Amino acid sequence: MSAIEHMPTYEPVLLKNMSQPGYTGSLPDYEKTGGYRALRNILGKVAPADVTQLVIKSGLRGRGGAGFPTGVKWGFLPKDYQGPRYLCCNADESEPGTFKDRQLIERDPHQILEGIVLACYAIGAESAYIYIRGEFVLGAKILEQAIGDARAAGYIGKNILGTGVHADVWVHRGAGAYICGEETALLESLEGKRGLPRVKPPFPATHGLYNKPTVVNNVETLANLPHIINRGPEWFAAIGSPPKSTGTRIFCVSGHVKRPGNYEVPMGITFRELIYEHAGGMRGDKAIKAFIPGGASAPFLTPDHLDVKMDFESVAAAGSMLGSGGVTVMEEGTSMVWAALRLMEFFYHESCGKCSPCREGSSWLVQTMRRIVAKRGRAQDLETLSDLCKNIAGRTVCAFGDAEVSPIMSTLKHWRHEYLALIHEAEAAHLLRPEPAAKRH
Amino acid sequence: MPESKTDSVRLTIDGIPVTVPKGTLVIEAARRVGVMIPHFCYHPKLKPDANCRMCLVEVEKMPKLQTSCSTVATEGMAVRTATTVVNDAHKSVLEFILANHPLDCPVCDQGGRCDLQDFSHQYTATASRFVETKRIFQKEYFSPLIETQMNRCVQCLRCVRYCDEVMDVKALAPAGRGTMTEIKTFGTHELDCEFCGGCVQICPVGAITSRLSMYEYRPWMLKRADTVCQFCGDGCQITVQTKDNELIEVNSEYGAGRNSGDLCARGFFGFRATGHPDRLTKPLIRRNGALVETTWEEALEYTAQQIARIKNAHGAQAFGGLISGRCTNEELYLFQKFMRLAIGTNNLDSSARYGHMNGVQAMRRVQGTHRWTLSFEEIVQADVLLLVGTNVTETNPITGLKVKEAVKKRQARLFTIESIRPAIGTISNITNLVDQHVCALPTQFGGAVLALLKAVVESRLVDQRLQHESPDYVGAVTQALERLSWPELEAATGAARDTFVQMATGLAQGRRVVVLAGQELLRSAGGYGSCLLLLDLLLLTGKLTEPGCGFAPLAEENNDQGAVESGAVAELLPGGLDLANPEARARIARAWKADLPLAAGATLVEMIDRARSGLVKGMLIVGENPVGSLPTVVGAKEALQRLEFLVCQELFLTETASLAHVVLPAASSLEKAGTFTNQEGHVQAVRPAVDPIGESRPDWEILSALSVLLGTPLEYGDAKELLKEIRGVIPGYGLLGPAPIPPKVDRAAVERYLAGDYRRALAARYTLAGPADAAGGTTHLGLFQSLFHSGKLSTRSKGLLQIEAQAALRINPADAARLALADGDRVRLSNRRGEVTTTVKVLERVPEGSAWFPDHFGQDTAKLFECAIDPDTNVPAFRTASVSIAKIS
Repeated sequence: MSAIEHMPTYEPVLLKNMSQPGYTGSLPDYEKTGGYRALRNILGKVAPADVTQLVIKSGLRGRGGAGFPTGVKWGFLPKDYQGPRYLCCNADESEPGTFKDRQLIERDPHQILEGIVLACYAIGAESAYIYIRGEFVLGAKILEQAIGDARAAGYIGKNILGTGVHADVWVHRGAGAYICGEETALLESLEGKRGLPRVKPPFPATHGLYNKPTVVNNVETLANLPHIINRGPEWFAAIGSPPKSTGTRIFCVSGHVKRPGNYEVPMGITFRELIYEHAGGMRGDKAIKAFIPGGASAPFLTPDHLDVKMDFESVAAAGSMLGSGGVTVMEEGTSMVWAALRLMEFFYHESCGKCSPCREGSSWLVQTMRRIVAKRGRAQDLETLSDLCKNIAGRTVCAFGDAEVSPIMSTLKHWRHEYLALIHEAEAAHLLRPEPAAKRH
Repeated sequence: MPESKTDSVRLTIDGIPVTVPKGTLVIEAARRVGVMIPHFCYHPKLKPDANCRMCLVEVEKMPKLQTSCSTVATEGMAVRTATTVVNDAHKSVLEFILANHPLDCPVCDQGGRCDLQDFSHQYTATASRFVETKRIFQKEYFSPLIETQMNRCVQCLRCVRYCDEVMDVKALAPAGRGTMTEIKTFGTHELDCEFCGGCVQICPVGAITSRLSMYEYRPWMLKRADTVCQFCGDGCQITVQTKDNELIEVNSEYGAGRNSGDLCARGFFGFRATGHPDRLTKPLIRRNGALVETTWEEALEYTAQQIARIKNAHGAQAFGGLISGRCTNEELYLFQKFMRLAIGTNNLDSSARYGHMNGVQAMRRVQGTHRWTLSFEEIVQADVLLLVGTNVTETNPITGLKVKEAVKKRQARLFTIESIRPAIGTISNITNLVDQHVCALPTQFGGAVLALLKAVVESRLVDQRLQHESPDYVGAVTQALERLSWPELEAATGAARDTFVQMATGLAQGRRVVVLAGQELLRSAGGYGSCLLLLDLLLLTGKLTEPGCGFAPLAEENNDQGAVESGAVAELLPGGLDLANPEARARIARAWKADLPLAAGATLVEMIDRARSGLVKGMLIVGENPVGSLPTVVGAKEALQRLEFLVCQELFLTETASLAHVVLPAASSLEKAGTFTNQEGHVQAVRPAVDPIGESRPDWEILSALSVLLGTPLEYGDAKELLKEIRGVIPGYGLLGPAPIPPKVDRAAVERYLAGDYRRALAARYTLAGPADAAGGTTHLGLFQSLFHSGKLSTRSKGLLQIEAQAALRINPADAARLALADGDRVRLSNRRGEVTTTVKVLERVPEGSAWFPDHFGQDTAKLFECAIDPDTNVPAFRTASVSIAKIS
């Protein structure tokens, strides 16, 4: 990040190495910055259960979207289970407006690998799989290279650094389905099956990959681990908005701002600060109309919410969620119905089809939205839309159902008049010409 | 299962308290109190998938609605299934599912018995709010027997899950994403699978239907008859649906019968075999060398006259009889009574002689029963299973499902000695599920069991008590095994010593050990000895008398077991009693109020031999076809041609019937009442679904009529009256419950065996079989049972012929490559005995060096086989030969 005078400066943690000039992310570069020190200090020296305690103490919460406390998740693995356990690193970053993991992977892969080995050690896994989004071809290559280097240097593989600890890491590329970012669909896909979410319970902690105890953690979550180990959980817990939202987060700002990009900031700063100070404010200094606070699955917020603090609780209280950290900003003049349709098209395309409400609902919603945007809407469409949304939310196998309705529900809530305007226009036009024969089969 | 406090939970469904076993799903708990929660994707046979979301219910203290199909009932749970919220949820899910549904109910074969229709009706659906464009799938050809109409699909994936979880076939998959998800085969070919019809049966809507009767009926026009399948010894309950005396379809309700609603291709698609236009509809009589139609009166009178003539001129021993194991118990029983009383001879036999008798006699000798001491439940609950020569998927498909359930759902360990390679194929392959597998030639199954016994003895796995109580037996067996060396055992079986040690250890450690022996073992030379070896194995490991353990020889024909129990074999009287035993003879004589013939009877091949030598001058053959079944070397045709009189009761003019002087048209099992006894020994009711075709009559009626004409009236008003008599004679036939009650091992018999009976021919069975048939050639040819056929009867079934229409020699890909052969190429099989030509089909599960020929089509290959008669059981073994294969260009 370039230093800008008027901008508050925070010490970056995850993006620190890569912002050094000349840092390539290679193993020697990473080692020069103190890389793999945490590994040396922990493996065989601190009991795995104590590592979990340390992570609990840091307050680290998952960076993938749901924000579940990481250490607590690890603690759900059965203690007395004999047999293999697995760690999966969720690198299937596909949420529209989210692009932080990609940068972490491409620019500083060893930071993630060190985190993976630390997590493996803590949960007793000897195998870890990085499930990487199929389109991240470069990222997959970089990870493969980094794993090879780390293995050669004895940081990964059998008997790491002579401590008797084994942890091997494999990269598995996805095949282009958004749903495979859902942790149980990820596991199915990793097992070579069709990537469909599983019915829960049982949860992956007890019945995960190949039906064995499994932890699935996001890339950014794992990348935090070496720093928590090196600098102590107290240090981490003091950053951000303690006690519930600790540490920094990488927010991906996109949309109508002057400087879109990844910004690593402590949790708890306001959206106003992120958008107007870090991202340089609105393009052409236009007024802001709306923003999505945490990836496409998060309900839209309005300028009234600019002073909401960017921590898990505050965003939830405002009626949305911090999600994946993807902040998409829209300027005045943006059609909110069109924006909702654009996201609906995405969700329609990505609905896996496993459960009825989401499979049928997404196609119904997208068709109705297309009609409204094409000025062929009808007055009763709005009620149907909101009914359908209500009938999908909370009734699906996975959280996708809740996600797919959030753009429509939130835009209906905040910008209902835009829908009505389109429908009025349609009705006015309808008076002038007969409705084309509907395609019915 | 006992429901103690810790094993069960109490909950309420809509306020009604119910106690259910721990682990019960809410949807099942509700069913117990009569609350039917609507659902599509749930099925008790399948793992919950919770994809249709139709079964949502309110559970107290849970914020969201829960799917009752995946929620396990817990103590104190309060479930509400009909609140406004729940009803709204059900309506909304239905609205979603109906959004893209075509509503083509008037032309849908499922209309009238469709879950979607029923629920729509229940939730008073009115006009749909869906005004968008409906999703359309282009119609695609799916398969000759199964039709898909994907626009009707509700994507519940029951078909896909059934095909994988229950059948282990994995022929179906969902393709496409979201609303474009459709059920397809893997790849771009048409459906090629086991054709069990499971997907058709389990589809809750009309997305997958049978093409056999497509558009020919509406479900409410159908008349149903619950009866038993006529094809194999599994004894599946089938529901035959007819319309105006026409067979429309066969299905089997979930939970029904021993098959619990599962069927195989033969059961589901083979039902029209007996309705084939070639069926005999009138009696035939030979005039001037040709068979011509005649009246029943003339045919019966002439037959009775001829029988009487032969009896008077040459004595009763000049007559013999054969009957098929496809007949009902009543018919089998009456047949042997007819032979023994009306004619006065024990020269009688049934198709049980082709192999089933090997298993029966071994059981009688070692454990004192002529039945299994197990039922299918014990197979499912087994923790260790050993399959020897079963080819279970093709021969006894439903027994195969029980094995699959034990292995896949209950994690049983599976050991197999089969002539099959583990390979992925279009049908399931039991050896894909094994813990340990020995791929041996059928001629070496006995050798493999010997190796297993040697491993038991050498690894000190012999039951301590047996060692202590029967040291002579253990010593004799040990000594016999010491004479066999590992190198020769390994060479004979193709498996390493360690494999046998692993299997032996597993068997000894098992708590519920079940050994299944199939046709390939029972019908091979030394089959009887191998069965004894398997019983020795159970004895040595201390399993034979343990609950849940036992030996189960599988029957090929549906009523082979009934034939044995009815006394339709030369050496046994009804109830498995020994003809040679004076007490047993006296018992039956008392029941029949008549004396029994004393002379031991001739068995199948003996009768043929006596016919050739002129000792037997007349024969009655009921539904059996020795000319078509036995190898040429036996000379059945020539022998039967020498008979002065041959009368056949038949459905079709078979190779044997066409030699007859009189052919009497018989009714098939779909046209008559009676009972079948399946291989478990379970007696099940056979009910008529259609009227007898033409003038055909049930076999028992024909026999009864003949007996009257012969002056020894064996008269019965109907099949039930016969059954009543059978119940008085055969213990166990009075109990026609939903499940069999297997007998216990007779300890006295075991003690007799251990005390010295084991010595009889011990050395012979503890010897490795020599190298296979030396008739020439290096390829091991074996006759095998195809999944899609049963005997020759099924080759009259249009449905099954659409799957497998002609004989094709199955060979391994490596052999095919060596001989430059591809599917459909013609080859010449030859050995010293003759040569035949056929086409080939390349199949990965065939072991290298082996070739399988289906035992259903014609008898060209019959000339290649030698026939060995078992000295103890008189079973003819003719299933293997060595041949050379050459391509015909």
